Amino acid sequence: MAYEPQYYPGATSVAENRRKHMSGKVEKIRDISDDDLTLILGHRAPGSDYPSTHPPLAEMGEPECSVREMVEPTPGAKAGDRVRYVQFVDSMYNAPSTPYFRSYAAAINFRGVDPGTLSGRQVVEARERDMEELAKFQMETEMTCPALASLRGATVHGHSLRLPEDGVMFDMLDRCRKEGDVIIMHKDQVGRPIDKKVNLGKPMSAEEAAKRTTIYRVDNVAFRDDAEVIEWVHRVFDKRTIYGFKPEN
Amino acid sequence: MSDTLSDANYVQLEIFPSRLLKPETAQNLLREITDLEGIIRLFVHGPRLPQTVPYGPATGLPVNHPGNTVIEVAGQAIELAVYVGSIRMEVVDVDVKEQVREVCENVLSVPFEFREGNFIPRRQTVSDYAKRGPGADPMMIGMTDPKGKLKDQPVCILKPDDME
Repeated sequence: MAYEPQYYPGATSVAENRRKHMSGKVEKIRDISDDDLTLILGHRAPGSDYPSTHPPLAEMGEPECSVREMVEPTPGAKAGDRVRYVQFVDSMYNAPSTPYFRSYAAAINFRGVDPGTLSGRQVVEARERDMEELAKFQMETEMTCPALASLRGATVHGHSLRLPEDGVMFDMLDRCRKEGDVIIMHKDQVGRPIDKKVNLGKPMSAEEAAKRTTIYRVDNVAFRDDAEVIEWVHRVFDKRTIYGFKPEN
Repeated sequence: MSDTLSDANYVQLEIFPSRLLKPETAQNLLREITDLEGIIRLFVHGPRLPQTVPYGPATGLPVNHPGNTVIEVAGQAIELAVYVGSIRMEVVDVDVKEQVREVCENVLSVPFEFREGNFIPRRQTVSDYAKRGPGADPMMIGMTDPKGKLKDQPVCILKPDDME
């Protein structure tokens, strides 16, 4: 029987969502066009060619190397794209994803990515078209709620603050706004105004966010409610503590 | 050191809503509170709203945050430099405290915490002394904007007649 990764222990909805994010088997809930994505990422003009940092690999004449022969380059590496980044911020108030699970999702399901995990933000560096593929995946699926998560290249402050009255995570650069019942982005991820308003779709309701979140919270699903997770966390901590301990010395 | 307000046994309160308040809600709440008799001083507290982008490739571009607006309280225009997260105040006695609680219940549509404690220094600190020197008005103790300048007059006197 083929091995199937289990990814994460636990029987609660949060554990199930964590497994979904890690395995990449997440539900697609909105559409964002390629041009809109390019516009809000702000690395190049929509519709323009990808600037390159070196000629395509096929023209470069690579040295003979068994590893290079074995590993198929990603489309971005093949074309010689620049390395560019996308950075997400997820609110602590039941945002669907968290920096750790965005990094797991990126590292497990995408090649040629360099995820960076911080307490309040998560950055992925990759060749431009590979990075765009990942950004599109994370923004179009249930990994992102446009109100509780946001694309923030710089000035990320807000993930741990109370939500404003309209439920859209505080952003001191005002990149996202709620207009009618949808969230629009009228600045790119670093705060430069863009030519048009990009519709990021409807925000999740409080109930839906609580259902889709990967965050354990005492006011939703408490960490201590998940006996299997607790057991495994204890086991990991136990092993980490004793693995170098040799009493006979 | 200048006189203190500690002998007066004034009550200090904090209103802490579960959501950050829109400027309109903050204005309504502050208007209702300032209409009450017995409010000595108060300040609003929350995440600061920059005028220009402070970091990254867009540094220096104007932000134009909708929270960064001018509100009118007790007939005076006040420029909000923060997104209102909490309001801390000093009132004369516990009767006023209950009136403030009632106002909050009427104005705020979100749940809020309402507590009594020590939120504004009652005695001059080294920072106050450095900012205002000896013989400063005891009413101004602790009423500073950490990032503001005294020359910009960060403290508004809403009802000058009551100062007598």
